[in-house]
Amino acid sequence: MNEQLYRYYVIDRVHRGLREAWGEDLAARYAAENLTPEERMVRRFEEACRRQTPAIHPLEQIVLRRTVKKLPDVLTEAEWADIRKTHYVHELGYVSNLSPDYEKTIAVGLLARRETATDAQKRMIDALVGFCDRYRDEAARMGRDDVVAVLSRVPRYGARNFREALQFFRILHFALWLEGDYHNTVGRFDQYMYPYFKRDMDAGVYTRESALELVEDFFLSFNKDSDLYVGVQQGDNGQSMVLGGRLPDGGEGFNELSELCLEASRNLKLIDPKINLRVSKKTPLSLYEKGTELTRVGLGFPQYSNDDVVIEGLKRLGYEEKDAVNYVVAACWEFIIPGVGDDIANIGAINFPKLVDEVLRAYLPAGGDFDGLLDAVRAAIKRECERQMKDIRNVWFLPSPVMDLLRDGRKYRNFGLHGCGIASAADALAAVKEYVFNKKSVTPARLFAALDSDWQCDPELLHLLRYEAPKMGKNDDRADRMGAVILDAFADALEGQKNDVGGVWRAGTGTAMYYLWHARDLGATADGRRRGEPFGTNYSPNLFTEIPGPLSDIESFTKQDLTRTVNGGPLTLEFAAGIFDKPESIRKVAMLIKHFVERGGHQLQLNAVNLEAMRDAQAHPERHQQLVVRIWGWSAYFVELDKDFQDHVMARQEYGV
Amino acid sequence: MNGVIFDIKEFALNDGAGIRTTVFFKGCPLACRWCHNPEGQKPEPELYIKQNGCLDCGLCRRPCAHPECQPFGRCLHICPKNLVTVKGEVVSAEDLCARVLRQEAFLREAGGGVTLSGGEPLMQADFAAEVLDRLAGRVHRAIETSGYAGADAFQKVATRCDFVYMDLKLADPAAHKKWTGVDNAPILENAAWLKKSGIPHTFRTPLIPGVVDTAENLAAIEKIVGGSPWEKLPYNKLAPAKYKCVGREWTL
Repeated sequence: MNEQLYRYYVIDRVHRGLREAWGEDLAARYAAENLTPEERMVRRFEEACRRQTPAIHPLEQIVLRRTVKKLPDVLTEAEWADIRKTHYVHELGYVSNLSPDYEKTIAVGLLARRETATDAQKRMIDALVGFCDRYRDEAARMGRDDVVAVLSRVPRYGARNFREALQFFRILHFALWLEGDYHNTVGRFDQYMYPYFKRDMDAGVYTRESALELVEDFFLSFNKDSDLYVGVQQGDNGQSMVLGGRLPDGGEGFNELSELCLEASRNLKLIDPKINLRVSKKTPLSLYEKGTELTRVGLGFPQYSNDDVVIEGLKRLGYEEKDAVNYVVAACWEFIIPGVGDDIANIGAINFPKLVDEVLRAYLPAGGDFDGLLDAVRAAIKRECERQMKDIRNVWFLPSPVMDLLRDGRKYRNFGLHGCGIASAADALAAVKEYVFNKKSVTPARLFAALDSDWQCDPELLHLLRYEAPKMGKNDDRADRMGAVILDAFADALEGQKNDVGGVWRAGTGTAMYYLWHARDLGATADGRRRGEPFGTNYSPNLFTEIPGPLSDIESFTKQDLTRTVNGGPLTLEFAAGIFDKPESIRKVAMLIKHFVERGGHQLQLNAVNLEAMRDAQAHPERHQQLVVRIWGWSAYFVELDKDFQDHVMARQEYGV
Repeated sequence: MNGVIFDIKEFALNDGAGIRTTVFFKGCPLACRWCHNPEGQKPEPELYIKQNGCLDCGLCRRPCAHPECQPFGRCLHICPKNLVTVKGEVVSAEDLCARVLRQEAFLREAGGGVTLSGGEPLMQADFAAEVLDRLAGRVHRAIETSGYAGADAFQKVATRCDFVYMDLKLADPAAHKKWTGVDNAPILENAAWLKKSGIPHTFRTPLIPGVVDTAENLAAIEKIVGGSPWEKLPYNKLAPAKYKCVGREWTL
């Protein structure tokens, strides 16, 4: 990567200071004109295209960047409130977390797509093409004939080569964000781009070096505007890219382009795009070694997903084989289908520790046996799932003509629920079984008194339950089996249930931000957790579990039938960054990942953690502007996070040498 | 038979070929001033109080009724942060092997095995030999030793290993006595035997600044090593932190 270009966009971030605020209450104007939601989306898009000023860095190959700051909303507060009265509004009310079909449009061009487009889409295509023309004119003014040539072809017509295809992707992706859609994922980039790449490589257009440079330039484009794409925190922007994996013909998808992507990511050390590697029992160790070389950089990816488990799981949920094989990862870890999916994979979340706590309080005083307790837990999980399934209906989104242009119908309309705090809930059940039922050393009255006082009245019981009891992460069947009970009950509760748009419900092991939100208002729990103390992220141990090592951790979290929880959510392993210094360690970590996959784990995410740097960054943020950490399903710059997210990252278990 | 260990470490990357599980034997005849496992020196279980984050709540000093706490004068089952622990667990060779062999398939597949370390495993030579016998034919077996033991004990254990890592710290007997507390004659004898034994081995020298890493000492050790493989290990800067945990001063 050219150093000057990198400095401009990444270190100095000059372009951010050149943006203009929109500075208008658009919603009020639209409301006064009494426009339909679709008309508002089209008009805002047209206006946004007009407001953009073409800006090209003299050294960049892939152009387009935002010069307009945050988009004003198209609906007023009062209008949103009205909609909420009769509808379920998911998150911000704009479509999100989808994987568009870029391939088709890149191949034929927008003019061809325009012929069968709706009126709204035609206007948006025209606005976008006009905007790109202004970029072409700016390039001509600057004497950038290469950019002029590319923009004279795309987006009007289909791409003929790798560079045109990359620029076309950039235009479409940019347009999705400009429509107001968010968590716009990248999908199987190494598959749909491969024909363009291969043709150019075969024709000798690029050397490996110059192709890498182009891919790096392209990767940089994901980071130009990402500060405007804020989710729950900065960095939570869903620009996930999927590499490798099974092909519809049964072959293996990892190719030379996938390899270049890994290398580009490793060189740039930027948080976008976020890389996911699809693997399976057949994956050779060498691929895990390449992945580990990227892990070593400390970006918190690649994240691995296991084709053997995920494809099987998706088929069980009713996805057609050809679609299941094509799965990608949504913003964080949810498995979705590109091009034809309309799933809402993060529509709700179950708070397992809270459910288990409620059941213990209702059940234990009555004096039933442990099997009865588990039945009561299953029933509570079922009730809570039913409650959420009943509440989540009549979902309303703003229209999204651009996104609709990039997908072929809405074949899958399934809803996914996160499963939050599984380890905490499983540990609580294991502790109760061990001490209340088997050893009878703790009475229910003593347990509840301790919980109600947040352990103040019984520090000895805190020690027992927190540090001596069975825990997930220690390869202890007593706890791991409870994890399986919870997951099975979760999957059972959703099995066969339909949502109000004809889709099914999917169980998952992710937490998203609920590991903080669900835990905040929950009192002390029987796993030895203190009041308000966060759960582990996703499918991971409690933060205070003293884990013997990554092998035990992996074994604990792969004993369950994970084909039933393919809404996604990884086990996370944290390694001290220093372990990667020895070249041999790369191979050893790779073996560990292979072991995870062979044991039937569904998703795995590894971090190289530099605790000292994080401590120093809290004290001196100005010295650590580029320090990257992984949050629940995305990577972020540490200094841009709120302190509670920073503290959680620092408290996670870390393996040294 | 029973032995005393103070840790089992999974996914050990620096204790031999492949991915290994390392078992730390408690007790060492040496007292190297730079020792980075001071909790491995005393043969018997001892109190280990982690220093990071003590709330000074005093709970651990309150008298308790647990029999296992009485020898230590502290309650081991009450610290809200689990800082008060004991290093040293009495374990039978059978149980120990069952524990490390839970991951047998993976250790084999990863070209690794089990490493006995310490402390000094040769201080419990019979126990070590029984552990190694029970692991025979299951996983690759290695040992990390100071080499300070009687020839019988050394050979009994070394012949049961697939690989031996042996330290050579200081060549000069007086300097060895001064810095490690013991004479190096048995070490040199065992090293001579090991070189001729046909057992795959590597000698190791921890590069303690100003003590071990002098040109003179390294030249002398090189002579002792002869044609055998020799690794020089960087000094572990984190060592001092552990001394307070076992109630001792770092004196280097």
